[in-house]
Amino acid sequence: MTDTPTPVTRPRSRLSLAWDSDVAHSFRRSPVAMVSAAVTVLLILSAVFAPLIAPHDPFNPATLNLMNGFTPPNAPNMFTGESFLMGTDDQGRDVFSTILYGLRISLFVGFAAVGFAMVLGITLGLIAGYVGGLVETIIMRVADVQLTFPAILVAMLIFGIAKGITPPEYRNDVAIWVLIIAIGLSDWVQFARVVRGATLVEKSKEYVAAARLIGRSPAAIMLRHILPNVLSPVLVIATISLALAIIAEATLSFLGVGAPPTEPSLGTLIRIGQGYLFSGEWWILFFPACTLLALALAVNLLGDWLRDALNPRLR
Amino acid sequence: MLSYIFRRILQSVLVLLVVGLVAFAMFRFVGDPVETMLGQERTVEDIERLRENLGLNDPFFVQYWNFLVRAVQGDLGISYRQGRPVAEIIAERLPATLELAAVSGLFALVFGIVFGVFTAIRRDGWAANAIMTLSLIGVSLPTFLIGILLIYVFAVELSWLPSFGRGEVVQLGGWSTGFLTQSGLIALILPSITLGLYQMTLIMRLVRSEMLEVLRQDYIRFARARGLSQKAINFRHALKNTLVPVITVTGLQLGSIIAFAIITETVFQWPGVGLLFINAIQFVDIPVMAAYLMLISVMFVGINLIVDLLYVAIDPRLRS
Amino acid sequence: MTRLFAAATLAAGLAFPAAAETFRWSSTTDPSTMDPHAVSSTPVLGFLTNVYEGLVRRGRDMTIEPALATRWEPLPDGAGWRFYLREGVTFHDGAAFTAEDVRFSYERAASEASDVRSWFAPVSDLVVVDDYTVDILTSTPQPIFPDSIANWMMMDSGWAEANGAVAVARDAENFATLNANGTGAFRLVSRQPDLETVLEPFAGWWGEVEHTVTRAVFTPIQNPATAVAALLSGEIDMINPVPVQDAERIDAADGTTVLRGIETRVIMLGFAHDHAELQGGGDNPFSDVRVRRAVAHAVNVPAILQTIMRGSAEPASQLVPPSARGFSPALDSRPAYDPEAARALLAEAGYPDGFAFSLSCTNDRYINDEQVCQAVTGMLAQVGMTATLEAMPVSNYWPELRADNFDMYLLGWSPGTFDAEHPLRFLVHTAGDRLGTWNFGGYTNPRIDELLPMIQSEIDDTARQAMLDEAAATVQDDMVYVPLYVEPLLWGLRDGIEVTQRPDNFFVLRWVNHR
Repeated sequence: MTDTPTPVTRPRSRLSLAWDSDVAHSFRRSPVAMVSAAVTVLLILSAVFAPLIAPHDPFNPATLNLMNGFTPPNAPNMFTGESFLMGTDDQGRDVFSTILYGLRISLFVGFAAVGFAMVLGITLGLIAGYVGGLVETIIMRVADVQLTFPAILVAMLIFGIAKGITPPEYRNDVAIWVLIIAIGLSDWVQFARVVRGATLVEKSKEYVAAARLIGRSPAAIMLRHILPNVLSPVLVIATISLALAIIAEATLSFLGVGAPPTEPSLGTLIRIGQGYLFSGEWWILFFPACTLLALALAVNLLGDWLRDALNPRLR
Repeated sequence: MLSYIFRRILQSVLVLLVVGLVAFAMFRFVGDPVETMLGQERTVEDIERLRENLGLNDPFFVQYWNFLVRAVQGDLGISYRQGRPVAEIIAERLPATLELAAVSGLFALVFGIVFGVFTAIRRDGWAANAIMTLSLIGVSLPTFLIGILLIYVFAVELSWLPSFGRGEVVQLGGWSTGFLTQSGLIALILPSITLGLYQMTLIMRLVRSEMLEVLRQDYIRFARARGLSQKAINFRHALKNTLVPVITVTGLQLGSIIAFAIITETVFQWPGVGLLFINAIQFVDIPVMAAYLMLISVMFVGINLIVDLLYVAIDPRLRS
Repeated sequence: MTRLFAAATLAAGLAFPAAAETFRWSSTTDPSTMDPHAVSSTPVLGFLTNVYEGLVRRGRDMTIEPALATRWEPLPDGAGWRFYLREGVTFHDGAAFTAEDVRFSYERAASEASDVRSWFAPVSDLVVVDDYTVDILTSTPQPIFPDSIANWMMMDSGWAEANGAVAVARDAENFATLNANGTGAFRLVSRQPDLETVLEPFAGWWGEVEHTVTRAVFTPIQNPATAVAALLSGEIDMINPVPVQDAERIDAADGTTVLRGIETRVIMLGFAHDHAELQGGGDNPFSDVRVRRAVAHAVNVPAILQTIMRGSAEPASQLVPPSARGFSPALDSRPAYDPEAARALLAEAGYPDGFAFSLSCTNDRYINDEQVCQAVTGMLAQVGMTATLEAMPVSNYWPELRADNFDMYLLGWSPGTFDAEHPLRFLVHTAGDRLGTWNFGGYTNPRIDELLPMIQSEIDDTARQAMLDEAAATVQDDMVYVPLYVEPLLWGLRDGIEVTQRPDNFFVLRWVNHR
């Protein structure tokens, strides 16, 4: 090694290079990516601006009329004469408004859970991979324990504890955070394992050895040198995880530990709707399911494209 | 290598102990078993007596210790719901879950690798894109909904496949198998697809991306330059080199297949340990919950151990 | 004897030209044991009523009729009851049924580990008079005692001793958990818990065979949608229950129908009568009868029945359904839906702007319980009572209620004795160790506490009814609970099968006919 001021063999990480030029270029060339991005942005925007777009406020029970229940889409209710674009559910809630509000909750839970899992997973993965030894053993065995507990159980455990320590009037607000932590906790292991694996490989490369030789602190090496190089698999996992987290929330709802029914998420709406699959009230399931499908599909396709785009060797 | 294995086994035992501890700490939040065990005309004395008999008034670490002492002797306790030894119940129910998981895993692995290789080789073909998109639709809906939709289409509307259960099973020693009868095999189709769909997509995407990566590397170019046929390159070299991550992921996914079997078994009334566990949660059947969690932990830890050993065996760089 | 029965079976077979066949049925819950004294729940007792029998049984209309006792009479001075046993009855293993078995079954069912021992709380002794006569002595006169033991099933003392099943097994395994030996019309052929339980007709049964079943297979199916699918696809002959929203579809489908009836379970709202404060702090408005009355006026029961229950359930005015013994016909009207009156009552009670509280609710116990609670939340919000809905699985629910973590809650009550005294004993009497054990809200009224023992020991029907009427009127006036509706019974059936639906939701196999 020489004493030149550029210490590492690669002056800039692959990610930041790609971000400047190639990714944007590749995006413009990929119709799938553009459509997916448009759908994702549209869904996020309609969730954010739900109170402005939605014709009703489904979270305010005082405004509901039970007699509006089970109104088919775009047809007048036989008792009240009211009409709803996507019909109403069992409580007489406008399905369209409920989807917009539910989307809000689902996206919030999804982003927050993945963010939580990502931060936790990357940190522990980097440390495990870089430091090695006893620390690695402990982290990876904790990961084993974590994997052993299905998300459902983790959710129930956290639910139980949260219920024990929160005053009753806050319990419904706490439910969302419990979901976020439960889903995040069941997801971080993936990040940790991938990051650890990649770190093990990167650690043995020359540029890390070089950085270490010139006396960079381990934290700096992990963050500045190794992290950017393991980010592309992390980003890909994160996009898939986002879709997955939203679906996991639906699954938990099926097992009775999801968002409260008075403020339903998309997943809770699907859980409610599946009860009406045989009875002919298809719209209660169909529209929320389509929304979830569109969201998950768009995010996944975006993830696919991102993975290819971030990997310069594939171009 | 031997000392490595020994160390890993020791660690695994530690993991099991921690799992048990966490599980026992959790049970008090699931509910009160005594409330579900007694009928509506119970008295307060009945409740107290039963609670005392079951040892529920003990501190939870005492309960845990008692559980461990008995578990080491092969006694997993008596189910609160069924009043029968838990070990016996688990032994009855485990074959159903293992067979379902095995078929799902096989389905995921075979179709995942085939589709993965196909979509990597025909990267921009319409068929590859169609497979990619369809598989994504499959994982964009929650498992329970896919199961119910499959039942609706194939059992109710078309009447092709059964909507619930294992069909006819044959007893082989202590093992009940659905592999030997026609109805047993048919009954496996819908639950396996429901359970394996997500893993299939995951493996497919993984194989595809690893293949694409490997196909770009120098030794493949070199092989091509040596005049090896594209087929030989694809399968002898490229596929072989994608196998390390595929093994890792498949191993890890085996565990989550068994965990996710809870949902599939509930939807299809599949009489495995997942359904048993859900019933146990509803009934606060603590001995069954504890046994299930320990069982799953043993499996997980075992799978992890094997995956790690394989990892070391396949990738010599990690041996140091 | 056997030949006679064979002939009777043959005649019955000829009367029904369709070939007798395997009958497959399904319910959400598997009977957790085959021991008739270990668990007092509808899934267990309802299933075992086909295998075991009691001294008396309930007929198609719930009336008490002779079973293993041919007749019974009160002993002088209300000292108890004398039962004359049926002669020539055998258990499935061939042993004869005698007074000794009754004594054994009494000792077993009244033992500490038994879950049905409350039925014998007033019993002081059982005396075997001769092989076919027993006296059951009670500490106070028990006018409805025969009604209260319809589900007390007889077990063979010899069989229990030979197989080590003398004690009731709840926290230890026992032969009787998986095996059964009753006198009933069906015998247990195989038992795989949670999977499949097979019954076959008992050739030596004493009664007249009215069914066409040669083999009956029970499979629990937990997910309601899966059960509906299994019925629609013809894999199952009968499912119980049918989700209310799917009844129409099953009726409309080729080859399946829905049998509709009304259960005995009344769904009601309960209150925290004796709490000083609400969960979220602040004075407890529910100790004021005007607020409870406001709740009754604010809930639009007809709308709930019309939409969520799809017209299947019936409104309830008292803690028991009209079909129960001791129901008060004069009090059969419930508060009308009247949001204005509700607001006025709230204002009068000092809450013109309403208040916030929490509504506790199950989400896996009663039919569409969560939806009903949601609707109630909306209706109460419209008059200013803003409820936070706390829906939870029943495994968490009872402990929460017992720990007083509620302001208002949903409760379903099925009177085990099918008598109006039952809810008074458990829901209204001042809470204690044996009485008022489900009176979570801590309602207390000396007059009710005084009436209950009098009702329990009154022999004269008119006097008894007068006291029940008084108690029912008090409960209504104090609005101790707000009864909402009586749960429906919905059974899905394949065409060509006739069954009889009883309000206690017991499924009786000996009434199954293939047409």
